[in-house]
This record gives sequence, C-alpha cells and structure tokens, in this order.
Amino acid sequence: MKKPIFIASLLFIIMGSLPGCKDFLKEEVFSQLAPENFLNTKEGLASLLTDTYARTANMNSNNSIYVIAPQEWTTDILFQSGDNVERDARNYIEFTWDPTVDFLVTNWDPPYQAIRDANIGLENIANVTNMSEEEKAVSAAEFRFLRAINYYKLYFFFGSVPLRTSSQQELQLAKASDEEIRSFISSELIAVVNDLPNPGDEVQYGRANKGAALAYLAKFYLNIKDWEQSASYAQQVMALNHYQLFANYEDLFKVENERNPEYIFVRPAFASSNRASANSWMNVSFPDNFQQDPRTGLAFANTWLNWPNEFRILDGFYNSFEEGDKRRNLLIGEYVDKSGQLISLLNNNNTRCFKYWPDPNAQGASHGNDIPDIRYADILLCRAEALNELTGPNNESISLINQVRARAGLAALRQGNFDQQSLREQILRERGWELYAEGHRRMDLIRMGQFISGAQARGKSNAKDFHVHFPIPQVVMDSDPKLVQNEGY
Amino acid sequence: MKTIVKIRVVVSTVLLLMCINEVLAQVRISGSVANELSGEMLPGASVKVVGATIGVSTDEKGYFSLQVPNLQVSLSISYMGYLPREIKLNNRSTLKILLTPDASQLEEIVVVGYGTVKKGDITGSVTALKRADFNEGPIASADQLFFGKAPGVQVVQNSGEPGGGFSVNIRGAGSINAGNSPLYVVDGLPLDNSTVVSGGGENFTNSRAPRNPLNTINPADIESIEILKDASATAIYGSRGANGVVMITTKKGKAGRLSITYDAYGGIQQVANNIKLLNAGEYQLVMNDIIDAGGGSENDRVATLTNDGTNWLGSVFRKNAPTHNHNLSFSGGNENTQFNTSFNYYSQDGLIINSAFKRYSARLNLEHRVKENFKLGVNINTSYTKDDFVPNGFDLNERAGVIYAAINYDPTLPVWADNGRYFLSPNMNIDNPLAIANGKDAFSNSYRTFGTAYAEYNFLNGFKAKINVGGDIVSQRTDTYVDRSTIDGLAAGGIGSIEQGKNSNYLGEATLSYNRSFAEHQINAVVGMTGQKFIDDNFFASARGFASDATGTNNLNLGDPLTRQTTSNKGINSLLSYLARINYSYKDKYLFTTAFRADGSSRFGENNRFGYFPSFALGWKIKEEDFMKSINSISSLKLRTSWGRTGNQEIGNYQSLSTLSSGWTAVLDGAQVIGIAPSRIPNPNLKWESSEQVNIGIDFGLFKDRISGTIDWYKKDTKDMLLNLPVPRSSGFSTMMTNVGSVQNSGLEFGITSSNLVGAFQWTTTAMFTTLRNKVKSLGGIPNIITGSAGSTSQVAIIQEGEPLNSFYGYQIVGIWQENDDFSSTVDNVRAGDFKYLDVNGDKTVNAADRVIIGKSFPDFTYSLTNNFQYKGFGLYIFIEGVQGVSMLNNNLVDTYFPPNLRRNRLAEPLLNRWTPQNPSNVYPSFVTPNTQGQKGVNNYTVEDASYIRLNTVRISYNLPIKSGPIAGATVYVSGQNLYTITDYTGFDPALNPNGGANFRMDWNAYPAPRTYLFGATLNF
Repeated sequence: MKKPIFIASLLFIIMGSLPGCKDFLKEEVFSQLAPENFLNTKEGLASLLTDTYARTANMNSNNSIYVIAPQEWTTDILFQSGDNVERDARNYIEFTWDPTVDFLVTNWDPPYQAIRDANIGLENIANVTNMSEEEKAVSAAEFRFLRAINYYKLYFFFGSVPLRTSSQQELQLAKASDEEIRSFISSELIAVVNDLPNPGDEVQYGRANKGAALAYLAKFYLNIKDWEQSASYAQQVMALNHYQLFANYEDLFKVENERNPEYIFVRPAFASSNRASANSWMNVSFPDNFQQDPRTGLAFANTWLNWPNEFRILDGFYNSFEEGDKRRNLLIGEYVDKSGQLISLLNNNNTRCFKYWPDPNAQGASHGNDIPDIRYADILLCRAEALNELTGPNNESISLINQVRARAGLAALRQGNFDQQSLREQILRERGWELYAEGHRRMDLIRMGQFISGAQARGKSNAKDFHVHFPIPQVVMDSDPKLVQNEGY
Repeated sequence: MKTIVKIRVVVSTVLLLMCINEVLAQVRISGSVANELSGEMLPGASVKVVGATIGVSTDEKGYFSLQVPNLQVSLSISYMGYLPREIKLNNRSTLKILLTPDASQLEEIVVVGYGTVKKGDITGSVTALKRADFNEGPIASADQLFFGKAPGVQVVQNSGEPGGGFSVNIRGAGSINAGNSPLYVVDGLPLDNSTVVSGGGENFTNSRAPRNPLNTINPADIESIEILKDASATAIYGSRGANGVVMITTKKGKAGRLSITYDAYGGIQQVANNIKLLNAGEYQLVMNDIIDAGGGSENDRVATLTNDGTNWLGSVFRKNAPTHNHNLSFSGGNENTQFNTSFNYYSQDGLIINSAFKRYSARLNLEHRVKENFKLGVNINTSYTKDDFVPNGFDLNERAGVIYAAINYDPTLPVWADNGRYFLSPNMNIDNPLAIANGKDAFSNSYRTFGTAYAEYNFLNGFKAKINVGGDIVSQRTDTYVDRSTIDGLAAGGIGSIEQGKNSNYLGEATLSYNRSFAEHQINAVVGMTGQKFIDDNFFASARGFASDATGTNNLNLGDPLTRQTTSNKGINSLLSYLARINYSYKDKYLFTTAFRADGSSRFGENNRFGYFPSFALGWKIKEEDFMKSINSISSLKLRTSWGRTGNQEIGNYQSLSTLSSGWTAVLDGAQVIGIAPSRIPNPNLKWESSEQVNIGIDFGLFKDRISGTIDWYKKDTKDMLLNLPVPRSSGFSTMMTNVGSVQNSGLEFGITSSNLVGAFQWTTTAMFTTLRNKVKSLGGIPNIITGSAGSTSQVAIIQEGEPLNSFYGYQIVGIWQENDDFSSTVDNVRAGDFKYLDVNGDKTVNAADRVIIGKSFPDFTYSLTNNFQYKGFGLYIFIEGVQGVSMLNNNLVDTYFPPNLRRNRLAEPLLNRWTPQNPSNVYPSFVTPNTQGQKGVNNYTVEDASYIRLNTVRISYNLPIKSGPIAGATVYVSGQNLYTITDYTGFDPALNPNGGANFRMDWNAYPAPRTYLFGATLNF
C-alpha cells in the first residue's frame, strides 16, 4: 500500500505546485480602479468631482426634461399628452400621483448619488498628496456647494429627507427635521462662499463660483419666505457686478449664446449620440410633422427627432401675455407641416415652447442648450418679491421688475398702481412670463399659496394641501424601514 | 521505487526486441468469433498470438485467418464488452471461439462527477437518459433533448427565435441574484455558459434572454445525459453544484468496421398561435366610439379609411419558415484505437423576417490504448455559429422592437408613405414595424472550440491515475447597422457598431481512483484536485453619420469622428478545488457513499475564499434480501437516502471589493468629461451561497422490470443567499451583494416506464410527474423586496417570507363600476365603466397598500407522457407535456388595458366587448379613462393562468427493409412539433418566458415559438 500513497502524493505535489494556491485565487481587477490609490490623487478627486457635477446636473438621457416636468405639468403653464409618457404625465396633471408614479425616482437617486460622491470626496481630500492647500480648499468648497444644492432640490421636491453628511453613517437613516435640513443647506452655502472663485474665475465653465452660492442662498431664503435674508443675498449677487441681463430674450437660450453674463448656474448640455448630458426639450415640443417656423424660417433638420410625446402650452398661459411681450415669441402658435400646410396651434391648448431653440448640431434627441438653474432675471425678481413682502411696493422693487420688463419690450410698471397684494400677483405673472419651462413655476405657486387653489380652479378636484410635497418614491420607502411617508400619501 | 519502474521499462523493451527478432515458421489458421449466449458473430474482435506481435481483427462477418509460428501457441481474443479469453491451439487449425458478455459491463453504467457507477449502485438522485430517451423532432440544442423527460427538471423556453434561449432549473430556484442554471459538464469539462456578446449593438433592441450558449454543441453527438439532482450526486461539484449538474457524454468510437451515418431532415415552421388584434375597421369604430364617449380628443379621431390598412403582425411573420439539418458521422477503430468524428450543419430561419440561426460543427473523440494499463484520449468540439437578429425585446417608444411595434401600430395605416419612406404613425414614437425589421440589422459570428485531453494509468490492483486538461474558447463578434430607412438611422446618418468578445477558460485536474472488491466488500473511491481559470474580455466601437449606408459596419472610420465611441473590459476569476468520494458496498445490498469538496473562488471575500461541501448517502437493495427473494412480481427494489451541502458562486466578479468605475458624464468647459464613481458598497465578508439538501428515493422494477420507476422526495434549503439586498437609497446606492436569507425548495418526482406490449407489436409508455414548492424562509430582517419591470410596468412581484420567490403582487379587479353604484364608498376618482378594484383594507381608497399576492411563477406540478409504438419497422412516437398551477404577467394585456395614449392597437377581445352604457359589462372597462386610477397594471386580469397541456411532438418513422448493397439500414420519418395546446392564456404561448430564466414569468412582445413539420431520413453505411 505504500506505492499508491506515494504516487498520490506525487500527483498532488505536481498539481499543487502548478498554480500557486494563493495567487491562483487572487482577484485581479483590470477595468476598474482601486479607491485607496486613485482617490488620493488630484486626478482621482477631480474625476469624482466630475461625477458629482454630472449627477447634480442630472442631464442623462431624458432626465434633462423629466426633472423639469413635475415642476410644470402640475401648474398653469403646460401639460403633456401623447406617447408612452402620457400615462404618468396624466397623474401629475390631474393631481392623482402616488408613490409609484414615474419621475419621482429621477428626482431622488441622482441627487443622493451626488451627495454620496461629495461625502467621499470630502473624506478623502486630506489624503491627497499632489494638491496645494488652496486647490484643496476650492475642491472642498465645490463638493460642499454641490451637496448643499442637491439637498435644496430634494427638500423643495419631497420636503424633509434624510440628511447624510458622511459615508460612514448608518445605512438606515430617518428623515432629518425641517429645521436640520434648512440650517444645513444655508450654513453650508454660506460657509463655501469665501472659498469659491469669483464668477468668471472658475477653472472650467460649468463649475461653481461665489455667484452661484449667493444666488442659491437668495432662492433658498425666498422659498422658505425668509424675505430679509433673501433680499440680502440677492443684493450680494447684484453687488458682484458681474451679472447682467442678456440683451435679447429670444436668443438667450440658444446654444451659441451659452456662457452669457445672465446665467448664474446651469445644467450644462452637450449634443452627443450617447445622450449622457443632453437637452431633450425640443423633441417633446415640435408639433406633429413640423417642417418650418414661418416667423423665423427655422426648418426641421433630418438629424433631429420629433417625438409624438407632446408638451403643450395651456391657452390660459399663452393668452396671459401682455401685447408686445417678446418673450412670447418663443411660444410657437403656427407652423408649416411636412406637406407644406400652415397649421395653427392657437386656442387649442396646443402652442409649443421653443425656448431651448433647436441646436443646429443636435444629434437625434440630444441638443446642446444648457438649462439655466438660476439666472440673473430670476435674482432680480427674487429681490423684488422679497422687498415687496418686507415693505410693500417701493421704488427699488418696481425698478427691478421694470428691468426685466424692458428687455421683453414692455412698458414700465408704475409704483402707484400697486399695493402689496397686487404687486405680489404681478410678480407671479412676471415670473411665469420670464421663467416658464425652466422648472420654477411649481415653487413660485406654492410660495404664493396658489399651487393647490390654482389646480382646483383648473378643475383638478383631486388637488389637496398635501400635494405641495411629492411622495417619497415607493422603492425608496421599501429600501429603508426608518423612513416615514409624507403626509397624505 | 523509481529504479523498479526503470528496470521494468528496460525489461519490456528487451522483450519487445526479442519478439521482433524471432524467426517464424508459418502455419495458417482460421476461425470465427461469436457471442456465447446469442451466437451473434462479432466483427472487429481482436485475435492475437500470446507472446508475439502477430494479430488480426475479425472481418465484417466475424471470421479471421492468421499465420502462426506453430500449432502449439496460445491465442488471446478480446472484444469490447466481453470477457477476454486465452485459447491454446493444441494442433487445431480451425477454431470457433465463443466470448462471454461481461456482465459488469452490460449493466448500465451511469456517468457521475469524476467517475462512473453501475446504475444499480447509485445512492443519489440521478436521471440517466440514453439516446432512446431523448426528445425527437427538430432539436437545436442539448437542453431540448431532455425537455419534459427528466422529473424535477424544469426547462423553460425564453424565446421562439431560432437558436433562442432555454432556461433549465433543477429542483426549483434557490437563489434571487446568483444564477439558477445548472452546471454543464461535457466529457469532464465544466462549461462556462455565460454570454459573450448579447444580441445587437447601438439602437438595437435585444431579447432579455440571450441566445442559447449550448447552441455550439451538436445534439446528435450526444450519447447520454445524466442529470445529477440531489446533494449526494452534486456535492462533488461543490460550489457549482447547488443548481444541479448536467453531465453530457458524447459518442465514443467502437472497435470494428467503419460505421457511417448520415441523417438529414428539412421542414417548415409556422406561427402556432397568433394573437387577435383589432383590424382596421374594428380599430376605427372602437377608437371613434371611445372619443365620442369622452376618452380622447378630436385630434385623435380616425378618419375615413382610404385603404385596407395593414396587418402589421402578418407583415413581419414568415408564412413557412424553412429549417434543415445534416449530420454525418464516422465511427470505428481497432482494439487499441477508437474514434468517432462527426460534422453537422444546422439552419433555421426565424418566424420573423430577418432572423435566423446556422451552425457548422465538427467533433473528434479519439482514444488510444498505449499499453494494457495506459491510455490517452482527446474529445474536441469546434463550431461556427451565425446568428441573425431582428430587434425584439422588453422595450418601447423609440427603442421598440418589431413585435411591440407590430402590436401597437395603427392598423389603418399603409406600409409606405408617398415620399417612398415607411409610413410613420403620428400618434406614437415608434418606428414602422417593417422599418425596424428591415432597417436594423444585427448579425453575429461565433467560434467556439472546447475539449479535453486525458491520460489514464492503471496500476497495482485497482488503482487508476488520471490527468485531465481542458480548455474552452468562445470568440464572438456582433455587427449592428441601423440604416436610413429608420427614424434613428435617418437622424444619425446611419449607426454602426461592433462588439467583439472572448470568453475563455482552462482546466487542469488530477484524480486518483481505487476500485476493488474484497470478498463481500466493494470499494470505489476517488480523490483529486482541480483548478479552472476564466478569462473574459470584450471591446466595443461605434460610429454614426456615415456618408452612405453602403459600407455598413465594414468601415466605421467613415463615420463622423465626433460620434465615435469605444469601450473595453476585462475580467478574470478562478476556482481551485480538492475533492474526494468513497462508494462502499457490502454484500451488494448495503450501499454507502460519501463525497467531499473544498472549493476556493476568487469572487469571494479574502476571509471566505474556501467553502467545504460534504455529502453522505445510504442505499439498501431490499430485493437482494432473502425475505424478498420469493416475491416474484417485484424484480428490483432499492431504497436511497442522502444529505449534503452544495454551493453557488454565480455572481459577477469584484462584488467583495471596493472599486471605482466610470460614472456619469458632465459637461465642463463645453466638453463632455466622464466622471468616476464608487461601483458598490463592498462586502469583504461575501461568501458562498450554500444549499443543504435531503433526498429520499425508491427505485423499483415490477414483473421482470416490464415496469420500472423512480420516486424521489427532496427538500433543499438554500441559506446565506447571495442577494442584492436593497439598501436605503439615500446612501446613493440601491443594492449591496450580501449573504442573507434563505429559500426552500421541496418536491416530489415520479418517473415510470412501462413496456405495455412486447413482441412484434411493441408499446412503451413513459410518464413523468413533478411537484415543486418554493418558499422564501427568511430575508434577513427586511420585510420584502418588490421587483420586476417591463416597460412602464414596474413593481411586478414581491419576495416575502412564506411565499414563493417573485410572487406576483398587485390589485384585484372585482368588476366594473356601474352607473347605479354607490360612489360614496370610495374617495377615488372613478366613474361608471372604470375598473372596480378591491379595497382590501377598507380605507375607501385603493392604493399601494391594497396590493396582494395574485400568482406565482413556480408551477404546482409539471407532467409528461411519452408513448412509443413499434410494429414491423413502423414507429410512432407521441409526446404530450403540461404545466399546471402557474401564472405569468401578460404585459401586452397591460398595454391593452392601460395604454399610454389612446391611438394604439391592442388585443381585440376586451375592446370589442368593452363597457358602454348600452353594454354594461361587469368584465371589461370602458377604456374612456384607463389611467386615472394610477399605476395598477399588475392585477388579477393581467397576471394570467399560464397552465397548459400540449401535444408537443408526434413522429412517424419507417425502417426500410434493405437487405443488401452498401446501405446497412435506412429510416425515413415525418414529425410535427408544437402541434396543439390547451390553455386559458391569451398571449402567444404560455410555455414561453421572454423575461428570461425559469422562475419569474413575464411575457412581453414574445417572439413566438414555431409549429414545425419535418421530413427526414437516416442512412447507415
């Protein structure tokens, strides 16, 4: 019996020595990177910051418009019908949404992914060796800025949400209190103002600067109705003496006029076939068989797409414009179709918003027009509103509004014609005419107390007070037992 | 020891030389070799002179003649399957030699992992199928051979496209996120069946289930299939054994005359069961009536028909799609060397235009006996397969596939527009179905070679050492081009993409086995070590904006440089294992088996690299006991029981590591920049998913084995499940791969074969019956996981303790709101003609809290019945199979009830019988306000009963009475497959699961399975 044992052992020694056991099972990584090495470098941190910007912009594929859609379908400006999206759009339009409808998660996941990135970036920044302290300070400020504005977006969409400020926190996390979220957003934005570069001095266009932080503060305080702070931060934006209204409203949103002095912070877009950072607005705005806009001569290029998913402007809004308002030029009331016929879209709740004027180099569904998150006209109207709330109509608030009106080709308002309430209403109208299709209308209506009453007036009998917050998406609820659904859902 | 071996070698060499130098006197002798029992002559038997190099084989009729030195020598005669004999000539010059069949070889041998056992000695649960047990008819891939033939094995077709995928689940599904497919072992080589390149590239909709990886094997090469089911049988495969093991053994050569077989068949395929949509006239009437009732705007009104419209489904189906198959094999050899080689050509056109599958394959199995105790062999398979894809799958809108487009497209539209382009619907963002089918072209060329080479050395008394090395390499390239006849292609100026991938692995293993009897004890043992490394890589490139469609994917450089995209990827994982098994039998009555494997995998956390998988089994041949001897009606009876543990490692690579991978794309300074993002929450403690299984079985034979059968009961508990555990999404992640929770599968398996009639008229019946109960035992503290989506339908199923995996979870429709109903019982926005959902919790509103479990994907039982009749060369084969107590989400029915917008074609019946004030249906809604109650697409209407019974195959064959000439035998046959189905299911096919896999049934835009009629012939030379 010795021989077989010998042969067996020999066999095993041979086999055992072929692949060194430990090496044979070592898991080698080829196509991904190891955080312990890469994140401790300047390049690694920059790549993480890039991802944070990308998720903050939330421009992947149709997200570009579906981040805006719930802010406008639910208002007096526009609605949607046609194609597959109609099923979900109807729920927004009719105030019948529940935690299972589409486009809620689109507004939850990317912000929290950006927050995740920012937390990891902030935790690693001290370990980076090939960066100066100044560079580190700017980077840290950018991560904090992006984290804060993602909480800003989450807060005004869902109400209070879990406050995650470190990657080491417990996975399950209950909602923070209203007060905690508010103070986090404001204190973080205030804290980074000094470290962020002045507008125009940022390393790359599209990155954060002082103006953006101040503008977000102005908007944040406006929406929580802290008028004093809002007016003050709007004033600080103006005092940077960097921003001004772009001369021609109609050209402001065109792709060739990006990087204008009016845009304060944008969701940048780039026309590309991968649609990784695309503006998809035009595809849902071209009317059926669109061939030409007779007013401007714009002709449909066969490299563009025209989906039968239609965002249609309500007549109530279209007809609300004052005579001669140039801003209405971006709402198309008639067009020539492919068979050469002139088709009117008027008085059928069917005019179309061409604000993000087609990009000549668009690739299919992907246009390159940046979408402004905050622009200077918004800040002017923001200060005007805050001042009106503080003191009623005064010289400054009227003149701020008139700056915006003047560009639209409208006559100046006169202070004497307004009391506080009527100016408030005027500002709401002005904001609609100026900022439609930019994703501000829902918050404007909520702030002015007209979101629910306005919906009911449009016949949306389901609209209830709790609808000012969207529900936390069902998949999110299912993922964390510590979460409590928003009231009413 | 080494010196001894050396001396032996020297001695034998000297002996050999002496033999050659021997001076021979010559005497001619002649004779024949025959079977001692039957008298059958044995061609190819070896006749040798003992102690010399002289020898011949018997001729075709079993005769031999031979020059011998003198008439005193001894002859040694041997033949496969018979006991060898030595005969002294004793001055005889003519001999009639009889050989006794070797009883041990005649008893059926069953292939198990790393060895074989006699069928009677099996202690585990193994279904052994020989060629005669396989399915008949058009068989494209190996898994179809045992479809419906093996108790406890569920084979679910995922797509009816040619070469389409099948999913095999053995004894249910134990895993949520790791794989549930069995391990396939072909001639000792465990196959990696992961997809290399799945379907088409850019702007091309792919099936959820990739094409069948077993397509590269010619089914006609397969001699036997053994399906290892219980842990006693599978534990020897350790970490890959939890889902069962399918052992495929290919045909080996036989010594003797060269045997040539040519088999060919051809046939046609048709759509077995079409679905009924609204035709143009019905569509106009229904749409306009709904608009009149307030369900649409005037813009949506269907104008007066100016043409006949188009039957879109009809326009994309082929009427009679051809298929044919040619198989040529050669087998032969002599006592020392045997070979079997075969060539196969298989071609199948799809039921949908522009889809097809072709295979060219060749195989060589060769074994050479160098010395009496030393042999070498190779088994090698090489194939080229070509897939033609048509876009189809789980997608919608601009990404719609051909079936989705054909179902939804407006039947009043013509195919062509006036400008010569395909006509486009103004109501939907879906391309013309024919544009999708003709303008989006994808094809794939795959080359796969795999095989093993082995050496076996027998030594001492009963020891055998074996070295087995193997390799497998699949190289595949898929080309996709979307031309300007499509919306996408026109906008982009043509879209070309190429994906090239390679999956390869190599295997090295050494085993030592020992097989010996000592009086009443018999031992059969094996120990071994094996390592396998898997290396996968792929590369993808695409471009758009071509000056012309003419070059297709043949010159991507002609595309617009700004649009070019490339990606590449590489991954490696490895397994290193040690194994052992002992089979011990006492008095040939009491059987004991134990097996053990230690398995290491690179996929798991540093601390949990190795897993240990033991098993034990006992068998008792009751019939061999004295008290049973007198019971003549029972011819055999054996009781078996086993316990064992197996594992599952089928997760992706790197799940235990923290890595960064490419993230989202930002636009900075006007240019796209790709970020990097953390890939996952790492889990350094990740380990095997392990299953413990208990099995009790009985094998019996009655009336001299005229009736024989097997009954098994098992319970399999999978714990430490590899689960993509949902994590709070505020973490920025949605899941984390975790070992958590457990699932139980249990069932009863029953297989019986009865020779009802023997003699001139033969009739055999085989019946099979399987029950399956799947239950989630624990989810590690989380209440449930809601999962599954198809297009706009999401949250289809729930995974919850106490329920089967992926139980359908939705609403219950109890009727239709009628005009006189009490609407104060709900606060929801409903009106007459709307669905009335059950308000489960009675809170006057129907919302997510009112969802209940409304069906399951695991059948209560599956069954089949095979009847074989033989009479005077005529044969009749009838195969019936069925599935009972299973549900499937029919998402095309969801689209019908909850259309995203009005102007879409749909299934006809609900619309033609819809509620109107004049026809107050309590079954079908009005379709006026289909979506005002929120997303309730998953309900007891759309989750349908997918039970069925099917006349699967009928085959009639005739053996031509050929007595002379070069042809030794000829058979002609006709067969029909998928002939008739009884079911309540309203989609194309209740047996198809386009969602992929076998345990979550969702039907959407199914590529239907064909009904096939064949004519064929087999010729033997």
